[in-house]
Amino acid sequence: MAKDTGLKSAFGGAKSASGGAIDLSVSFCGVKFPNPFLLSSSPVSNSAEMVEMAFEQGWGGVCYKTLNSDRIPIIHPSPRMNAYHYEAKQLVGLQNVEQISDRPLKDNLADFLYLKKKYPSHPIIASIMGFSNNEWAYLAKAAADNGADMLELNFSCPHMTVEGSGHKVGQAVHLLEKFTATVKHAVSIPVLAKMTPNITDMTEPALFAKKGGADGISAVNTFRAISEIGLGDWVAKPNVFGVGAMSGYSGSAIKPIALHFIAEMAQCAELGLPLSAMGGIETWIDALEYLLVGATTVQVTTGIIKYGYRIVADMIEGLSDYMSARGITRAEDLIGKALPNLKSTDHFDLERQGVAAYDMDRCVGCGQCYIVCRDAGGQALEWDEASRRPKLVEDKCLSCMICSFICPVPGLITHKEMPKGWARRPTGIMDKAMERQVKIPNMPLT
Amino acid sequence: MSNAALFQTMTKGFDFAQAIAEADRCLLCLDPPCSKGCPAETDPGAFIRKLRLHNVTGAIRTIKSNNILGGACGVLCPTPRLCEKECSATGISRPVEIGKIQRALVEHGWKIGFQPFSVPVRNRGKVAVVGSGPAGLSCAAELAREGFAVTVYEERAEPGGVIRYGVPAYRFDKAFLSHEMADLAHLGVEFACGTRIEGSTGARKLLQQGFKAVFLGPGLWEAERMPGGEKVKGVLTSVEFLALMREEPFAGIGHQVEGKVVAVIGGGSVAMDCVESAAKLGARDAYLVYRRSFAQMPAEEDERLAALRLGVHFLMLNQPLGYAVDGKDSLTGVKLVRTRLGEPDASGRRKPETVKGSEWTLEAQLAIEAIGNRPDTADWSALVKTDKAGLVVTDETTRKTSTAFVFAGGDITRGAGLVVEAVQDGKRAARAIRAALD
Repeated sequence: MAKDTGLKSAFGGAKSASGGAIDLSVSFCGVKFPNPFLLSSSPVSNSAEMVEMAFEQGWGGVCYKTLNSDRIPIIHPSPRMNAYHYEAKQLVGLQNVEQISDRPLKDNLADFLYLKKKYPSHPIIASIMGFSNNEWAYLAKAAADNGADMLELNFSCPHMTVEGSGHKVGQAVHLLEKFTATVKHAVSIPVLAKMTPNITDMTEPALFAKKGGADGISAVNTFRAISEIGLGDWVAKPNVFGVGAMSGYSGSAIKPIALHFIAEMAQCAELGLPLSAMGGIETWIDALEYLLVGATTVQVTTGIIKYGYRIVADMIEGLSDYMSARGITRAEDLIGKALPNLKSTDHFDLERQGVAAYDMDRCVGCGQCYIVCRDAGGQALEWDEASRRPKLVEDKCLSCMICSFICPVPGLITHKEMPKGWARRPTGIMDKAMERQVKIPNMPLT
Repeated sequence: MSNAALFQTMTKGFDFAQAIAEADRCLLCLDPPCSKGCPAETDPGAFIRKLRLHNVTGAIRTIKSNNILGGACGVLCPTPRLCEKECSATGISRPVEIGKIQRALVEHGWKIGFQPFSVPVRNRGKVAVVGSGPAGLSCAAELAREGFAVTVYEERAEPGGVIRYGVPAYRFDKAFLSHEMADLAHLGVEFACGTRIEGSTGARKLLQQGFKAVFLGPGLWEAERMPGGEKVKGVLTSVEFLALMREEPFAGIGHQVEGKVVAVIGGGSVAMDCVESAAKLGARDAYLVYRRSFAQMPAEEDERLAALRLGVHFLMLNQPLGYAVDGKDSLTGVKLVRTRLGEPDASGRRKPETVKGSEWTLEAQLAIEAIGNRPDTADWSALVKTDKAGLVVTDETTRKTSTAFVFAGGDITRGAGLVVEAVQDGKRAARAIRAALD
């Protein structure tokens, strides 16, 4: 059941519409984009034929599928992808073993020229991956000389069949710095370094990219994962003729994790680079959340695999309406707006406490709240068998809110602050007699 | 597909993916009301939860170990007024379609070759079951699982009773039934088809032959008649009509219906089956003649609406008086008189009263009487206590008759009932038989 993420609540306290024209354009590393919605470097940006269709439907730019120099031929495994479904919901996550472009460099560059000629105001970000230092420079120059407005250095593909490439570089920070510097010396257009999430702290490699001269950071590439294991043959999927592999995982399932990486980099004052974000973006709300934690542009692949290029129309319309309702005219004014409210947990005001509040008029009587509170909460609910309705014992409620996550009626259970001085009942012990037998270590706690 | 072929094949249910999607709407209630709504103790709360948690074989086991005809009930049950009636999801949108999920799970079990039953060790006594309808099959399966050696006696050529010969194949076909019969065979139940047990004498013989107990589930196979109906060519009973439709190869009845005006008399589920069949077989006009109102019909609402959608003419508030015939005693029409509803009668429904002077004749070439069934000529009263209607009197929960070691269930004890009720009778009798024989 879809939860209420509807306009009313998402808009918050709506101000009167400004009436002014909405400007979705953003300036990113000095390059102007008609809107922040870009194709990411992937199968959805494999050729000019595809990118053209995407531009026609409203995408503001493209991060073109990673160029190869033709020195080492690229052959894609078959099959290339596997879907992760959750209950009846299809494609919550997507695992792939897709490689970089298998097209000849010349074909891709000819497509750049076509796109630049036909869509001069739609920036092309050329993703590149070299397998040697010199190859990075070669590809950078080839792209820049054929219309690319910007480069994205692919330091992050987690499943390259070419040994020592992809996220292996992204994890080896000094290599990453070196290749960035090589590219920066070769070209004058802005350079993004694309980060792998298969690390602990993304600011560290990002800072090395900055040291190498990167003008911006894009993140995140896919997460190394196993989406499914065949129960008949015990081969992880995608099953490439009897062999499975840990490989890149994307889609809605990874969005919350990707979002935190972006926020972390945006909060890093030392980094201070513009960010192009990706990870599980399907709707304007997803895109907006990335902008609010500091991204300037957003990139999409899995959302397109799920719904097609057409989703950009809903991103544009949805974001524009949101901005109108909030009286915001420039998309750029949204960037980083959630960062001041994003703090470490020691900033919480623990004096203020609340409980779950139940709108019982809307209850359908399924009792799932009772089960979850009993088995994972504060045992704060009683169940009236005759009426088939829960009853909250307020002073036992932990305000964990898990009942509201299970409740099938959107908005029935909400969080309510309790007055100052209100206290929660401590969790009881099963047998008072045991108290006397408790052994407390006789050592000072410092 | 030809009309005839369509007739022999069931409407498809949910495929497995649809079942999963439908199960996704289940609210997984703390105290599932669906699990309290089944006359045969089906536990949808459990099997839907199992499906949700990918315990598919467990879900199938839950269904089948409670009800050997779990597939049939998934197809034939009037679920909107049973398990689905109190579904909590109604508060969100609409009840979960439990019957369809149940059917899909059972069918999925066949597809993946999952057998929910282990082969029982046969270490208990012999029990005879008379009649292979839902009550008999249910009793036989329960007993066989407990280690009894069960023989089912069936008068007709094939087992199944009313679900083999009493419903149109488009609702429940032979292929589906044969899958469920395979489970009975797996459990070691033996069938003696083409063997009629002739009432009290026959049942006594079984006891003398060494059967420790006998379960009577012969059903109701004698149609109630309109006065004079049996003499008219072109008048069939619902029993005759439905059995003709289950003929193999299917041939006979089609030409009697196609292009003709058919009048079905009655307002129950069987009448709906008959009139719907007539419409599907290409009747020029299919009439449903009923002396009460649409709302008073005993047929399920979805059955009534399905017939309406098929283009059946519902001729409400018309009481049949008899038949109009030509010189050769062939039907030319049904004589009717209009009624109006008066005061409530003993059933609590407003009673139809004839309107004087409103007699008229509905022209028809075929009439089908679907006004209820009664026991056939087999007389059980010399063995067990029966009531005025000839129904066997039993204890509701144990299905014990007035005679030791003789049990009974299904329509012969309760009058025309649901498949699921007969299934429960069989289960209850099996429990009592086990207790009696231990």
